[in-house]
Amino acid sequence: MEKASKGKKKTLALAALTLASTMLFSACSSNGNANVNGNSAGKGDGAAGKPVTLKVEVFDRGNAPAGSTITDNYLTKFVQDNFGTPNNINVEFVPIPRSEEVQKLNVLMASGSDVPDIVFTYDSGTFYRYAQQGGLTELGALLDEHGPNLKKFLGEETIAYGQYEGKQYALPARRAHLGKYSSFIRQDWLDKLGLPVPTTTEELYTTLKAFKEKDPGETGGKVIPLGMALAPAQYEPLIWSFIQPHSEEERYTLTQQLGSRDYPTLLPGFKDALQFMNKVYNEGLMSADFSLDEDKKKLNEDAANGLVGFFSEDDMNPFYADGLYATLQKNIPDAKLSAVDVYSNSEGKHPKPEYAPVGLYLMIPKSSERAVEAIKYLDWMASGDNLLYIQNGVEGENYTLQNGIPVMKADATEEAKNRLFNAGDMGLISNGKQLGDTEKNVEAYVYGMPEAFHEETRRALTVSRSDTIKPVRFDRPIEAQGKYGTGLLDKFHEIIVKTTMVKPDQFEATYEAAMKDYMANGGQAILDERKEAYAAMSK
Amino acid sequence: MALKATAYLRRYWQLYALLVLPVSYFILFKYGPMYGIIIAFKDFNFFQGINGSEWIGFEGFREVFAMPDFYKTLRNTLMLNFFDLLVSFPAPLILAIMLYELKFAWFKKLSQTILYIPHFISWVIIGGIVYQVFGTQSGMINNLITAMGFEAIPFLTDKNDWLITYLGVGVWQSAGWGTIIYLAALTGINRELFEAADVDGASRMRKIWSITLPSLKPTIVTLLIINLGHMIAIGFERPYIIGNTAVRDYSDVLSTFVYRMGIESGQYTLATVVGLFQAVVGLVFVLGSNYASKKLTDQSIL
Repeated sequence: MEKASKGKKKTLALAALTLASTMLFSACSSNGNANVNGNSAGKGDGAAGKPVTLKVEVFDRGNAPAGSTITDNYLTKFVQDNFGTPNNINVEFVPIPRSEEVQKLNVLMASGSDVPDIVFTYDSGTFYRYAQQGGLTELGALLDEHGPNLKKFLGEETIAYGQYEGKQYALPARRAHLGKYSSFIRQDWLDKLGLPVPTTTEELYTTLKAFKEKDPGETGGKVIPLGMALAPAQYEPLIWSFIQPHSEEERYTLTQQLGSRDYPTLLPGFKDALQFMNKVYNEGLMSADFSLDEDKKKLNEDAANGLVGFFSEDDMNPFYADGLYATLQKNIPDAKLSAVDVYSNSEGKHPKPEYAPVGLYLMIPKSSERAVEAIKYLDWMASGDNLLYIQNGVEGENYTLQNGIPVMKADATEEAKNRLFNAGDMGLISNGKQLGDTEKNVEAYVYGMPEAFHEETRRALTVSRSDTIKPVRFDRPIEAQGKYGTGLLDKFHEIIVKTTMVKPDQFEATYEAAMKDYMANGGQAILDERKEAYAAMSK
Repeated sequence: MALKATAYLRRYWQLYALLVLPVSYFILFKYGPMYGIIIAFKDFNFFQGINGSEWIGFEGFREVFAMPDFYKTLRNTLMLNFFDLLVSFPAPLILAIMLYELKFAWFKKLSQTILYIPHFISWVIIGGIVYQVFGTQSGMINNLITAMGFEAIPFLTDKNDWLITYLGVGVWQSAGWGTIIYLAALTGINRELFEAADVDGASRMRKIWSITLPSLKPTIVTLLIINLGHMIAIGFERPYIIGNTAVRDYSDVLSTFVYRMGIESGQYTLATVVGLFQAVVGLVFVLGSNYASKKLTDQSIL
């Protein structure tokens, strides 16, 4: 009985949505139809008769619940019923394993025949390469004609990231929350030692020393005052806080973009950051094996076991259900983790990088014959409540609205929860939940966490958004970055690791040698090209 | 003459039919892909395909030979392979002789099986084990060392210590499997030689030195030539997985270099150049060592 009524509700909701979206679409396509009819009656018949197939890439994370697959599930059916069928389009999803997206995409693109009509990547270098080699459909006119809602949703700033030499070759997804990093400290350790929360890097150093000497966590000498890993979330906030004030020109020319991040390799203060890491490491205040820990696994393990006093991390990461904080409290019931903003620069600010306002780069391969349908699909997603539905499911079953924010129901049925297993990957046009403005988006993240951690999550999300440094953007791609970026990122890590782990008296020589190696393997080429690009831009 | 050939074919056609399968395998999977070598001489653009891309002559080679990292990885490849040859080449030989000398058949079988196991473990898993065992902060061995009051040894993060770890892991992984070919050769030794030696009162070491080793000589030489041919080629997984940022001075080799250039950065032309370079130098090594062996020991594989 209960099941039947639920089923009814679902159908009703679906029907309402279908109605809404078909109305939208009939409104949209009436112009197009008129044209077609004017040109030839035969063509109109064709559109009504044989459906066309639109192939869309989808990330496969191997997490489809029993009874559904990544290409056939609740949300794919929702797309087909509400977008596909009304427009006489068969929407087919092409799975690509998440862990090897770029490699697999390269192979698909090179094959030329079996490419999906919508492909995407997080890697801007890959996007530039495709655009440069002429493998992508230009989207400017298509977007104007078929994607008014999409254009409005993405906004100018985000759309600009999809341009290559002035032409629109990709539509970047819009990012809901630009903050990256927060720092975390064991509040219970501070309380035990009667210490205040450190507010500058200098105070942090004193606190770390106290953690080491007094071992408030009674770890038996295993204490790791500063938890470190060879991952951006750990080294970026530290390094950027040492960067000294510099001119705009320096910001443009001396920053190096490796992969998707900006690195301050040549900016004044970078060496000081390394010197600090060297000092902290050699005094035994930092994770000894951080150079082996590129996936932060060891750091997470140590922190969850209550060995780590202070660390920086992606702002929300510790708070997920069964995440770091939850595990820590299971192991040590009294443990208290506070989100803090500590690393500071010479002006007392807490600078840290923020994300570019983009997520996935959505692209349509040149070989695709369904570019119009592809844009229509993305436009459909951006219109009405479609994105809200894809990201949150059915109101009353998956979530309840509180102050306009969809709050996931903890007691939702297994079936309802399973609907959304791929929600993050299906809502292509947005990275993170999109509710209209940043404050609301952030609140949605807060409500997504276990209730006990709401306040701390909110604080971490505030930390990650304050004193942020925006990524530097040129109006044209820096080719040397595409060429050397990946290799240089390894070199950058080498600089950090070598200078940190070397004995203090050899720091100077090690730094010189590592920097020389970095510059010789592409660093200089990037610097030269950026100088040139800056000169051209400021003309 | 023509009649002879037909009669010959009629008689042996089954043998030739058997040969078709392996030959087509080599043509399809070994010679066919060689077509791709021309990528090294083209500015490869994969939307235009191999044929559509522009010829650039030796530009790619010039670029690769101008890269400081190319020489570093080349040096590391030769260095790691040379040390590996010193350590990992004799290991299976010694192990095989030891197994051969074992008296109890059941114990021999058991040890062989245990020794083979590492060969079947994927490098990714070995990497995990190595990290657990040799880690500085929480590795098993270092826990023991620090518990005894000594300073922890950075097995994985100091480049010289790492080299020893790398070689040791290699021996552990491959020595057992490598014994198979020697054991097969050993079964071919005429037992009477040993009996005669026993009558003459030869000691065990004497027998190994004068009977076992000389009988293994052709096998050893063959394997040595094959190994020398691989001097410039190096597996990808072992240095990539056992290596880490701290020891990149040693662990960065040609195969990881190619991976970074080709798969990660999409520089297919440069990656192909390095691959081709490796193949050519490898060929020189094989022919060279084969020639030397022919001159010195009268044994060769070509």
